[in-house]
Amino acid sequence: MATISTQLRNFKEPTKEQLTHVFFSIPEVTPVPVTEKSGSEEDLEKMEINAVLSLGVQGVEDSYAGKLHLIPPYLAFSSLDRKSVRFTLPLSTVRRVERLNARAGVYALSLSTWHSMKIVVQLTSLRPTADLFCGLLREALKYELQRGQMKAVKGFVKSCYSEGLVPTSSTVADNEREDGSLINETKEGSPSPETSYQGGLGLRFKFPGDPKKLREASKIKLWTTYLRTHGRNLTLLRYPQCTRLVQVGLPNRLRGEMWETLSGSIYLRYAHQGIYEQTVAEIQGKTSTSFEDIEKDLHRSLPEYAGYQSDEGISALRRVLQAYSHRNPEVGYCQAMNILAAAILIYMSEEQAFWLLEVLCDRLLPGYYSPTMHGTLLDQRVFESLVARCLPMIHEHFQAVDVQLSVASLPWFLSLYINSMPMVFAFRIVDCFFCMGPKVLFQVGLAILKINGEQLLQIQDDGQFLNLMRDYFASLGQSAHPESSDPRARAISRFQELLLVSFREFAIITDETILSERRKYRNQIVNSIESFSKRSAIRNLKTLARFSKEQAGFIYDALYKAICEVPPPPDVAPAPSLLSTADGQQERPETRIGLATFHVFLSEVLTWARNEKIVINGFQQRIDREVAEHELIDRLFFFWDTSCKGSLSFQDIVFGLDGVMFNDLMDNIEWFFNLHDKNKDGFLTKDEVLTLSESFLFIFRYEIGDAYLGAVSRFMTNAFEYGDTLLPQMTDSETGESGPEPIEPNQPYLNLATFRMVVLADELLESFFEADLSASFRLELVPDLELPPSSSGFLGDLWSNIATVDNKKMFHKFSDELGKTIGKHQVVYRPTIGRYTKLEEPKARESLISPTKATSPSSSVTAISLSSKASSSTLTVDATAAQDAPLSASLSSAVFSPMPHMQAVNAAFMERTPFAIDDAGDDDDSDLESDHDGDDDQVLDEVDAFLEAHDSGLTDADIELAKDLIDAEPVK
Amino acid sequence: MADTASGSVDRSVQVKLVLLGEAAVGKSSVVLRFVSNEFQANKEPTIGAAFLTQKCRLEDRVLRYEIWDTAGQERFHSLAPMYYRNAQAAVVVYDITKASSLEKAKSWVKELQRQANPNIVIALAGNKVDLVKSSSSAGTMSTSESEDEADDATATPGETPSVADGESESLRQVPREEAQAYATEAGLLFFETSAKTGEGVVEIFTEIAKKIPIEHILASTRGGAGRPGVTGGRDGARQDGVNLDENQVKGKDACNC
Repeated sequence: MATISTQLRNFKEPTKEQLTHVFFSIPEVTPVPVTEKSGSEEDLEKMEINAVLSLGVQGVEDSYAGKLHLIPPYLAFSSLDRKSVRFTLPLSTVRRVERLNARAGVYALSLSTWHSMKIVVQLTSLRPTADLFCGLLREALKYELQRGQMKAVKGFVKSCYSEGLVPTSSTVADNEREDGSLINETKEGSPSPETSYQGGLGLRFKFPGDPKKLREASKIKLWTTYLRTHGRNLTLLRYPQCTRLVQVGLPNRLRGEMWETLSGSIYLRYAHQGIYEQTVAEIQGKTSTSFEDIEKDLHRSLPEYAGYQSDEGISALRRVLQAYSHRNPEVGYCQAMNILAAAILIYMSEEQAFWLLEVLCDRLLPGYYSPTMHGTLLDQRVFESLVARCLPMIHEHFQAVDVQLSVASLPWFLSLYINSMPMVFAFRIVDCFFCMGPKVLFQVGLAILKINGEQLLQIQDDGQFLNLMRDYFASLGQSAHPESSDPRARAISRFQELLLVSFREFAIITDETILSERRKYRNQIVNSIESFSKRSAIRNLKTLARFSKEQAGFIYDALYKAICEVPPPPDVAPAPSLLSTADGQQERPETRIGLATFHVFLSEVLTWARNEKIVINGFQQRIDREVAEHELIDRLFFFWDTSCKGSLSFQDIVFGLDGVMFNDLMDNIEWFFNLHDKNKDGFLTKDEVLTLSESFLFIFRYEIGDAYLGAVSRFMTNAFEYGDTLLPQMTDSETGESGPEPIEPNQPYLNLATFRMVVLADELLESFFEADLSASFRLELVPDLELPPSSSGFLGDLWSNIATVDNKKMFHKFSDELGKTIGKHQVVYRPTIGRYTKLEEPKARESLISPTKATSPSSSVTAISLSSKASSSTLTVDATAAQDAPLSASLSSAVFSPMPHMQAVNAAFMERTPFAIDDAGDDDDSDLESDHDGDDDQVLDEVDAFLEAHDSGLTDADIELAKDLIDAEPVK
Repeated sequence: MADTASGSVDRSVQVKLVLLGEAAVGKSSVVLRFVSNEFQANKEPTIGAAFLTQKCRLEDRVLRYEIWDTAGQERFHSLAPMYYRNAQAAVVVYDITKASSLEKAKSWVKELQRQANPNIVIALAGNKVDLVKSSSSAGTMSTSESEDEADDATATPGETPSVADGESESLRQVPREEAQAYATEAGLLFFETSAKTGEGVVEIFTEIAKKIPIEHILASTRGGAGRPGVTGGRDGARQDGVNLDENQVKGKDACNC
């Protein structure tokens, strides 16, 4: 058995709030300051409000309707279509907020940011709501000020390349006056235009590609213009132009910063300053299996890039990968992460790359690099279904010739195409990926297949498919239409064609599509991974012992269930990687369970390791099952832990069960004896005899009648009687009486032969060891918690509607209460052995109690006949309550009517203010074009290719109003 | 030309072969040695699986190996079925200086025998014999690879070597006899190889070629579109595979690499 992961089982769909966080790239958990004087961040409320956003410079951008979210410590906005315009501003970059003096009934705020940008937001909700929002915003800003975050901005932005691009003289910091504004900030001297920005290996080892061919200069010029008016790094506002500029390819020097800004990893870096250095310091001299894996791959990561032929590049790569695997041991290190890390390190500093890697692995490519790689498998399944939907002919052909899409597409997704196509092109896909999200991977993948559609229909096997893809990727730099007479058409490269097809024809693939497809296939993938790991766990057992494969499968299932319920403690760091054991065997990591998990496991397979209460309350009968706790069960755990590791592996458990489930009478007696013989010297001490008797009592705790109690009591009497007689005799000199030598309770006292004799003296104990003990281990599905629904009446129907665990619990509690009030509540413990179904007193075998006669053949015969009955369990409680159900139906209907309420909620949810007015068509940036030379025109041609309709969601009147607001005076 | 006339249209038989084994045992190096007779640091990191082809001549036939070189990292294990499905041959590689790698190899063999194509031909290859041989043969290759030696630090003196060959033999953790015995018991072809010196590499593929039920593959391929469980060279127009084969002297029993 390798490892058993329950991570997949415990997956929960992200909540709406989490999705919002993801959408705005807001870090999940912000570190809570250790000492807090007033109001923690938890106290700061979140709120969203309808708003219209205008940029404070006339004519630069249209106004957009959307939603403004206050998610301390961030303020975020998204236009209604969720793609045209959005921003995520750390509150600490907001330098002034003013209420604008505008037309009556209009509630508008003007926000100034660190980069002296003025944003006007018109809150279109009702006035009290707007007031509330402003109040919350004020609180959140105050808190940021107290935290000292406002001062952190200045130092941080210096690490960004864009600060050098755009002159810093105009920042608010320099010319802000101390007026009645919300934020009072003391300013120290004007920032010096130093260029201490963080950058990647490319600055030293050159960036891939020819800068002239990439038209770097024009791109930088266009971006400078954009960043000047729309903010940059922490304060970047994303308007349609931003996305278009990304689509034509980011300039190399700006690329790293834009990646972290667009992906939101910049917010992580901002919120966790210094953590990277700290992590790197922590891992000094440490070692782990991940580190070893990383070491193997360092020289295989983009080896053709000059930076990775030098020690500098390799060390940087090592540090980043190690730091990440240390920070996120659950993921650790997965091959392909080396390629991503190597790629991003060309463009960004180690610290930037570290945080970007975190965003990649956690948010953008969830589960891709986990030990089960479930995210990868899931997205491959999703991609396949999208191909089936969008390119049915290719899908059918692949099915017909049995070609698996994943053989080619898996590396595309796993390494963001970096490993598949020439780097210059792959990086442009990565640009779009960070800007527009994971859907880009799917869009590009579909476009690749579509463009090669005709040839794909000719392929016959996986090999041809791969070769075709390889050839296509190698030709991306060539003209897409070499035969065309139009020079403009000839100039379009196959890569440009690929992007156009991706974003034009597959624009229908949205984030929502991906999310819902993932939901659809998730269970399927999880099941197949789980059954795969089950198969290999069983296959990798050293021995199945005497179990069949099916039985081993059942043991695995029970173990798996237990691990889900009580996860085992995290792996004790296995350090054998460097210290080979004597026989050179290197232990592979495997899941071992602790005592708590063992309890749950045992309750699945052993009748007396669980308490089963039959509850009858007049409406239903059910069995409440709980895990039993007893010293005996702990004893079993340590008994089975033969390697004394304080934990059990799957193999240990198989051996353990094998040791008891196939035993005959004598084996069982010996087994039970050994279980209680702690020091394995072949003798029980007096204490151990008592413990053993307690074990008996525990096992027999729910048996009906006094028979077992009697048997145990006789056992104790006999055990001590024979034990004493077998001790060396001594004569008391004073009284003249002879008796056994006094013996300490922890001295060897009772040997196996004597124990066997005492047990066999009792019919009931004999039958217990003959059959019942082994039979109490059951490798079969524990029957469902409920008895079959007793009636088809109202409650029966209701039952089927509420079948979630929580609801069941509530329902049980509720019906118990009802049952109690009408006097029908009744709890019966189910016997674990169940030999006796009614009270009856078996006779002790008086004749057998004689030290001379140890066994009696006749007794085992009776025992066998008895045990044949024992296998049937003893549920004799009748379903008497059925007819009472309708009686209470009216009573409960008032309480159990969740459906109408849900419908109302759903209805409310569906009803949204319609924004049907579509007034914004394609907007040409014609005024820009005149400023640039022909080179720029080309870039712009490309930019224009990505023009899309952007719905600002506003009426003309709204736009007019928004324009007015830009010039409005603040309210005093 | 005469061959063509004698019945079979295409003398090139396509054989899908998959390489499995623990990380860093030298799977990719073995393939590289076989495919291009080179030994060097990996140019392409193995993500999922690398795909290569190589022809191998056996008597009057040419086998065209489609080689799937899989990633060795444990977490890629669940992807492996994608690559070994329909495979007619498998080479399971372990590192003779690392006992645990044989255990992993055994588990791969088990998995293949239960999950893969029932007729699959499996070869077990103990790689890195150059590390335990005296330097006579190892010096021939100029390029040395760092990855190959990466885990030698973990090696400890193992069992007493059977074929003692100087002190370097002490690096060996898996005695040849032990692996041979296991291979015989499990019905595998067995080789000890060195991707670095080239020792034993070509032999693996030649021996596999002998064992592959070629007629069976050809029959099922010729049968038409239906391709149950085997990928055969069904494409009569395959350009690259055939050329070398025609007008060749028969009876040669070695790969043309």
